[in-house]
Amino acid sequence: MKILAASGNWNLFIGRIHPLIVHLPIGILIIAFVLALLSRSSKRSGLRAALPLLLLAAALSAIASCAAGYLLSLDGGYDEQLLNTHLWLGIGVAVSSTLLYLLTVLNKLPRLQLPLFVVLLLLVSAAGHYGGSLTHGDDYLTQAMPPALQAFAGQQKAADNAPAYTNIADARLYEDLIAPVLSSRCYGCHNAQKLKGGLRLESVALIRKGGEHGPVMKDSLPEESELFKRLVLPDNDEHRMPPKGKPQLSPREVELLYWWIAQGAPTGKTVKELKPNTRIQLVLEAMTPGKALDHNEFVPEATSSSPDKKAIAALATKGVKVLPVAASSPYVSVSCVNAPGFSDADMALLHPLRAQLIWLDLSGTRITDAALPGIAQLSALTRLELKHTGIKGAAGTSLAACQELRYLNMSGTACSSAFLAGLGKNKKLRQLYLYQANTDAPTLRQLQQQLPKLAIDTGGYQLEKLASDTIIYKKKVV
Amino acid sequence: MAKHDKLLREANEETLRYITRRHFLLDCVTGLGAAALGSLLTGCGSSVKPVDFSADPMAPRAPHFPGRAKSVIYLHMAGAPSQLELFDYKPELQKLHNQLCPPSLLEGKKFAFIRGVPKMLGPQAIFSQHGESRAWVSDHLPHFATMADEVSFLKAVQTDQFNHGPAQLLMQTGNARLGRPSIGSWVTYGLGTENSNLPGFVVLTSGGKTPDAGKSVWGSGFLPSVYQGVQCRTKGDPVLFLTDPDGMNRDLRKQSIEAINDINRQEYENFGDPETVARIAQYELAYKMQISVPDVMDISKEPAYIHELYGTQPGKESFANNCLLARKLVEKGVRFVQLYDWGWDSHGTDENLAIDYGFRNKCREIDRPVAALLKDLKQRGLLDETLVIWGGEFGRTPMQENRDGKDMPYLGRDHHVEAFTMWMAGAGIKKGFSWGETDEIGYAAVKGKVAINDIHATILQQLGFDHEKLIYQFQGRPFRLTDVGGHVITPILA
Repeated sequence: MKILAASGNWNLFIGRIHPLIVHLPIGILIIAFVLALLSRSSKRSGLRAALPLLLLAAALSAIASCAAGYLLSLDGGYDEQLLNTHLWLGIGVAVSSTLLYLLTVLNKLPRLQLPLFVVLLLLVSAAGHYGGSLTHGDDYLTQAMPPALQAFAGQQKAADNAPAYTNIADARLYEDLIAPVLSSRCYGCHNAQKLKGGLRLESVALIRKGGEHGPVMKDSLPEESELFKRLVLPDNDEHRMPPKGKPQLSPREVELLYWWIAQGAPTGKTVKELKPNTRIQLVLEAMTPGKALDHNEFVPEATSSSPDKKAIAALATKGVKVLPVAASSPYVSVSCVNAPGFSDADMALLHPLRAQLIWLDLSGTRITDAALPGIAQLSALTRLELKHTGIKGAAGTSLAACQELRYLNMSGTACSSAFLAGLGKNKKLRQLYLYQANTDAPTLRQLQQQLPKLAIDTGGYQLEKLASDTIIYKKKVV
Repeated sequence: MAKHDKLLREANEETLRYITRRHFLLDCVTGLGAAALGSLLTGCGSSVKPVDFSADPMAPRAPHFPGRAKSVIYLHMAGAPSQLELFDYKPELQKLHNQLCPPSLLEGKKFAFIRGVPKMLGPQAIFSQHGESRAWVSDHLPHFATMADEVSFLKAVQTDQFNHGPAQLLMQTGNARLGRPSIGSWVTYGLGTENSNLPGFVVLTSGGKTPDAGKSVWGSGFLPSVYQGVQCRTKGDPVLFLTDPDGMNRDLRKQSIEAINDINRQEYENFGDPETVARIAQYELAYKMQISVPDVMDISKEPAYIHELYGTQPGKESFANNCLLARKLVEKGVRFVQLYDWGWDSHGTDENLAIDYGFRNKCREIDRPVAALLKDLKQRGLLDETLVIWGGEFGRTPMQENRDGKDMPYLGRDHHVEAFTMWMAGAGIKKGFSWGETDEIGYAAVKGKVAINDIHATILQQLGFDHEKLIYQFQGRPFRLTDVGGHVITPILA
């Protein structure tokens, strides 16, 4: 606890009470507003007597919150712009609640009281929102949003954050890669107003100038530069930057900064001109826009609604596992590896998941052609495995409705040629496996012509017998 | 407070870990006390829960983002095969054959056995280019060469351990010291496994010995022991101690397991310890495995042409049998299959460890099975969702070994850490690609260097994990498979 004692002081202590007492004016103002509304009816006019006391309490707690909040802001590390908005909104709440209290007590301008109340509530909401963004980050809510809402909010966000380069090799190292990191992680404290440690980091000239303890960057020597060294100190070291509890640089960003210092902190130079070494090349490639590491062509770009929980539970009782394809994805995969008894009658259980079900493995189950209409309704499918099932593809059956299908595995089935020919309608199909299945050559040739990008694998591979297969290498005994 | 939360949660998980391993011991009074403490602490440390242990710890889970691989088959050539006789073609080295090694290659370097000034050893194989990718593969691997267009070679892998044990630990656990979880443990911890009748992480060994680093290379380290690898055998009982003893029939076994599980359920009702539920699940899995494992491990029912393809002989311990089993296991939904083949330590000390004799025999033993495995996975549509990795724990020197400064009876190469070749295939890895280069004699990596934790990062990446976020809290700090390093090798991703 020594560390805390050393870094703590009265200002910070009172400041940290801000998040606690800030909820008092919010609650009091809301209840006062409700009472003010109710007291408008003559039946409940007696409630009006409570208003002055409530408003006094609200005004005092709002002023106390402002004071505590100001002390907390001195600790630094908050987004400057966001902090300013929150600060002035908070002062607005304190001022207008005091004003409202005075008007009520003095019984002046009764017509203005209710509009002022509404304004006050709006101010409180806005101040609360920005306060939340300050502590939890401004993506706190959007991250947890259901996908449908997120799509709406996310689209706008992506447009705002689009990088200025399309190819990482053409990105300017300082301007496009380093400065944005410094801006989001360091400017908050090291700017003209805050000047923590007497250091500003908003431009290369200011970085070179250093702070009150001297220079922070030794040319081309990252290991001897405070600007790098402090980023990699242990979490709880008091010299660690950004300090504990503040948003940290990612390992990739640290590595980039290291490289930038090692290159002599150039400006205006593109990555290409600086000839990245292979390690940095890997970092850079991971940052290339468009080639996101989590991209997967078997998952739709668009989002979907959440899958039906009841349907998932119903399938679970049959031993069928429904799993999101990724932790935050609405799309699901269904595997019947533990449910060999899954049959045509159970197909209806999959139907509620038709919008989210993209990977389906029915291999080795008891399904037959009667399941095909049910499968065809699963229009989001990108991967479908029907290995070793009784699917025959009788006349009239088809998967033409599964327009998103990319991967189809019919190995070990007796599917008909007509069914295979019908796959020509699945324009996005890229992989078709027919090992130990119908491999009627004219049909497959025709299918290949229709879908030139389709890879058809009929298997049955063997390896040649070579003379060297049986040679045992031994030293000749003389 | 965050610090305390961490410690409390860890204390909780630690308790659970020991309950797993020492269940019977802990059934005594102290055990109940520990279980009670564990359940009391559950509430204290619940701020971050990477895995919910209250349910089946092996239940399948979703990764961070949609993965390309559902399963992994890792072919580890224990002893470290020579890259200079297989994939890294160096005609310049031939010109230096039998000449004394230049001092620039020796100054400041340490070798496991080379002392003084050794002679250079030219490539002891004939190289040619194969497939559309024109990949260099030697005549030691004629069957594998036909599959060159399916794989991505990593020609400049580097390690920092030149002894087998530590190097194998580094390769398989991300750290050269004991005590870290193996790749398979991390993967099953992160993803669980699909088939509830089979273990999620299976280990198969061949070559007559287990790896030098011992069974720690498939241990679960500080992860709950439920995630450790299960070693299966192709000869004798597939899993040791799994069959019922003489005189016990399956009904009696079922009754005894039900009785034990009833007691465990009561224990759970009393103390609410989630690990008890896991224990119940494990007894049930073991019971199911008595039927499912002998079934999946029995390769004698495979058709003749499959045996011909792999070159398998049922009932023997062989790399070929293990390759066929790997395919069968992956087909059944096993998450991680780890193969170890012993006998690649070609120092030249005897005929079996000679580059020109034993090494060639080892190559023959794996050539057909590896090619067959790739082909068989491919024709079943499994290669698309199975990541296959091949490699040793380090490479071998371009110099001929001169143990203790003396000439060796056979041609051999010493351990080499600065550059060696591995390859990956399937599950979103580029086909017919090569990344990384060594200098003209294959001594040092010059381009596209790859560290061991880059390989781990890439394996996790293909399974859908951000390797920086697959974390386990232990001894007061978060641990990752890639520790504080690791970059996904993006150039080899399709």
